[in-house]
Amino acid sequence: MNKDKIFKLAKGFRGRAKNCIRIARERVEKALQYSYRDRRNKKRDMRSLWIERINAGTRLHGVNYGNFMHGLMKENIQLNRKVLSELSMHEPYSFKALVDTSRNAFPGNKKAVLPPKKEDLSIVL
Amino acid sequence: MASTTLTFCSSFTATGRLPQKQNLSTTLSLSKTNLNFLSPTTPSLSSHRLTFSPKPAFSSLPKFSESEAPVLESEPESTDSEPAQLVETATPVPKREEIFAVVMIGSRQYIVFPGRFIYTQRLKGANVNDKIILSKVLLIGTKTSTYIGKPVVPNAAVHAVVEEQGLNPKVVVFKYKKRKNYRRNIGHRQPNTRIRITGITGYEDSPAVTLDS
Repeated sequence: MNKDKIFKLAKGFRGRAKNCIRIARERVEKALQYSYRDRRNKKRDMRSLWIERINAGTRLHGVNYGNFMHGLMKENIQLNRKVLSELSMHEPYSFKALVDTSRNAFPGNKKAVLPPKKEDLSIVL
Repeated sequence: MASTTLTFCSSFTATGRLPQKQNLSTTLSLSKTNLNFLSPTTPSLSSHRLTFSPKPAFSSLPKFSESEAPVLESEPESTDSEPAQLVETATPVPKREEIFAVVMIGSRQYIVFPGRFIYTQRLKGANVNDKIILSKVLLIGTKTSTYIGKPVVPNAAVHAVVEEQGLNPKVVVFKYKKRKNYRRNIGHRQPNTRIRITGITGYEDSPAVTLDS
């Protein structure tokens, strides 16, 4: 009974770890420990991913992430980073409105921080 | 291209899938062909991905951005005029208003579309088929303007209906300390509530940022 549960959790493991109970039990325990730890890590990873995406989205409009968030805090806009990253991907006009609001509140970027210009192959050929 | 979609649609209606999905998706046959190849790959995806209207034929993500909508409107309608005659017998689905809102429930924020559902933390004291009004609306976006709340859009309300009070899938919480003979094996199911969004109202009077185009 317990063995069946272990083997069910051990699906997709490498080598003997999916077939032999002594090895599978160790690997499954390790997998469960990792999942416990990673449920906490996932929150950190997702937040840094959202910040990267917001940074990319605002730099298209010439503002960097730090000044953008500072402007939003000044305006008391309480959208969180998850929603901001979704808006930057799927709702470009709404996101531009947010960037403009933030720029009015805190015009930190005197020089527009645009993404680096990409040269195409015609230069080499 | 249009002829291939015609034959595809006729075989599609013959399989009888139409009556199941007619109250969920639009009558755009292109969206139904999309459903056909999406459903085997993502059966467990929540239905909000399938109910979006209008659905672009070439991308599987429910992109809803104002820049794409004017371009999309010309394409699906021109190729849809022929298959639409075949699919005429389906009940006309009411046109969804193209609007979204960012709402805060249980200190978590969700992007919300009318007609879709979301899973939230368990709302105590809410029974099934209760009408709920969510008052913490942080942003509303329509096709032409965006209403940014500081922090909340005044007088805005999102209407929703409680569909189901269930539990999240089980998570195994396994604690283990090596060489210390300590292990704990606990299963956990977090209670949740599924609510379906019916409408977004009350935003007309707030200051808005409108599109120039």
